[in-house]
Amino acid sequence: MPAIDPHIGTQLVDLCSALLLLTCFAIVAQRRLSACVELFALQSGFLAATTALVAFLTGIHHLYLAAAMTVLIKGLVIPRILKKVIERLNVTRELQMNVNVPAGLLICGALVILAFFITQPIIPLGFLLTRDSLAIALAIVLIGFFTMIARKKAVTQVVGFLVMENGLFLGATAAAYGMPLIVELGVFFDVLVASLIVGIYTHRIQDAFDSLDTSQLTTLKE
Amino acid sequence: MTAILVLLGGPLLAGLLSLVIRRARILHGVNFTSMAAIVAAEASLGHRVLTEGPVTALGDFVYVDALSAFILFIIAVIGLSCSLYMWSYMDHHLARGTIGPKRLSRFFFLFHMFLLAMVAATMANSLGVLWVAIEGTTLATTFLIAFFRTREALEAGWKYLILCSVGIALALFGTVLTYYSSVRVLGDVSTALNVTKLLEVADRLDPHVLTLAFIFILVGYGTKVGLVPMHTWVPEAYSEAPAPVAAMLAGVLETVAVYAVLRSKTIVDRAIPSQFAGDLLILFGLVSFALAALFVLIQHNYKRLFAYSSIEHMGLAMVGFGVGGPVGTFGGLLHLLNHALAKSLAFFAAGNIHRRFDTLEIGEVRGLARAQPLTAAAVLVAGLALTGLPPFALFSSEVLVVSALAAQEFASNTLQLGQFLTVTVADEARSLGLVAVFLLFGVVLFGGFVYRVTAMVWGTPPDHVARGEGWGMGQVPLIVMALMLVALGVAIPEGLKTLLDHATTVLLVR
Repeated sequence: MPAIDPHIGTQLVDLCSALLLLTCFAIVAQRRLSACVELFALQSGFLAATTALVAFLTGIHHLYLAAAMTVLIKGLVIPRILKKVIERLNVTRELQMNVNVPAGLLICGALVILAFFITQPIIPLGFLLTRDSLAIALAIVLIGFFTMIARKKAVTQVVGFLVMENGLFLGATAAAYGMPLIVELGVFFDVLVASLIVGIYTHRIQDAFDSLDTSQLTTLKE
Repeated sequence: MTAILVLLGGPLLAGLLSLVIRRARILHGVNFTSMAAIVAAEASLGHRVLTEGPVTALGDFVYVDALSAFILFIIAVIGLSCSLYMWSYMDHHLARGTIGPKRLSRFFFLFHMFLLAMVAATMANSLGVLWVAIEGTTLATTFLIAFFRTREALEAGWKYLILCSVGIALALFGTVLTYYSSVRVLGDVSTALNVTKLLEVADRLDPHVLTLAFIFILVGYGTKVGLVPMHTWVPEAYSEAPAPVAAMLAGVLETVAVYAVLRSKTIVDRAIPSQFAGDLLILFGLVSFALAALFVLIQHNYKRLFAYSSIEHMGLAMVGFGVGGPVGTFGGLLHLLNHALAKSLAFFAAGNIHRRFDTLEIGEVRGLARAQPLTAAAVLVAGLALTGLPPFALFSSEVLVVSALAAQEFASNTLQLGQFLTVTVADEARSLGLVAVFLLFGVVLFGGFVYRVTAMVWGTPPDHVARGEGWGMGQVPLIVMALMLVALGVAIPEGLKTLLDHATTVLLVR
């Protein structure tokens, strides 16, 4: 059982979750693609730290495995794949956006409030020391979703998707100290394969369109 | 037990074998053998479920009740006919040089992984594994959709990947929320997502959490079903994918996604005393039905035409499940089967037309009856069946759904959509209004469809188009499925009816 006072434990978990949320804002504010990828790797690091912290506080050992997988797959492998994609495509900056940075940050702020509003009635039901992170998790999911809509480059859209995944993992940890191990492994596998597919796709889109701007993908309009 | 191993191991083994085989004939042979084995396994499993009740196996990982058995039945039937159809479809592209033997191996590998993911989704006991498997279908099919590597195909595949991944990421959040409420009650972390466990304690789960969870789940899996407004990937993917893939997407994948929604609904319905989940399904279903009917009117590409008709029929089935009760639910399930048959028939025919006329434009296809008589007949049967005309099977399921809707008694004057939106309507007005909307858009759809389809069938074919049906293995499923559509419209075989009845009971809670 925990060696730390549960009250302090809760605060530590909250702090880690808050750092996760902060990196989301940094990603939205960032124009350089490689910095976006690095920020995502950093965020995965915070996620792993949160998971490990929860594992330590609760003594649920399979969470250590989840934390290790997070570092390995989301912190190292996927950022490397995305960096390769960026190098190969020779695009460094996100120049076109559907929503500019200041407006994007404001919308994200609103999304955080929305997330707290939605989860407010269900949070008191939880008995876990992580329960407050549920609202932050939903906020991260929503911001990831928003990033996908707001940006035009395929790489940033993928980072948005991965941010959503991070939010979901935080949600699972917050809601119930992580999902059953087989489900977590399955989700990791899916995310990894998805990033590989994205790597192949960007290559093919580049070949066919000479650009990685997904706003060019509009031949199939009504 | 053997049946379950065959269902899971068959596609896996066939997929791995496909990677190393280069000869087209052997590839087709492997594919057909594995599909035939799946059909046989499904038949024996279905029989066991009917006689002995739900089957659990492999620890607690597999749970097959009548509902899963029914969905597996659809996967098996459509999969088998697809494997026959691909025999001529793929060989045509090989002969033409559109694809090389290596690409064909990959095609079959991805195809089997797609099947494996769908079978796993249907048999999974855990809602988490169900999610993993459905995301697996997205990953397996995105390159199948972009298989011909044209700009349009790449665009369709990319859109599909992004939209469906995002959509079902939301479904995962819903699953996490379900887990949040069930861990509290069950306390056991490792099995708290299992359907068997959730059903045991469903009435003790927290309604607030489940309301929120179901909204996320419906939006998430609804993207995969192709419900409006998350439907934008559907017409693109269906029109660019190779015909057998489009048939599998429309016939089976959508059905499996509906299954995922229904599984959650059975749990949510037990936890929430109001009609909440049902009302939400009716709302999404009606909007999809109406909007798709309007889009059918303006289509000039026959594969997109069929795609919008899929959205419309999924909407209809959703309304059936939303109204619930024995009639609505039975109608909805039957409609899933009928739609799968009609839609794969339609896409098989579309594949034949595309190969002969080399165009997807309805305006450029004329004189189908002379160029390809069997295909012309198939398009007519599929087209008329999809508009819900008798004597085809979709007529009976549509009548069931609409009559369930008309007979629905509303618990209150308000349409409660969670804590977010409440709409007040008088009872009679609502019943009448809903049915009127249905009939109106049904007529719109009928007009649009008949006009487009008949335009392709009659007339003189252009000079450059060869005449005469190219007979081969690929025509067998066309004949069989057209016959099945008529036969199911006249009477449902006893075994199938029992399976449907049992599956309906699974979905009825009150």
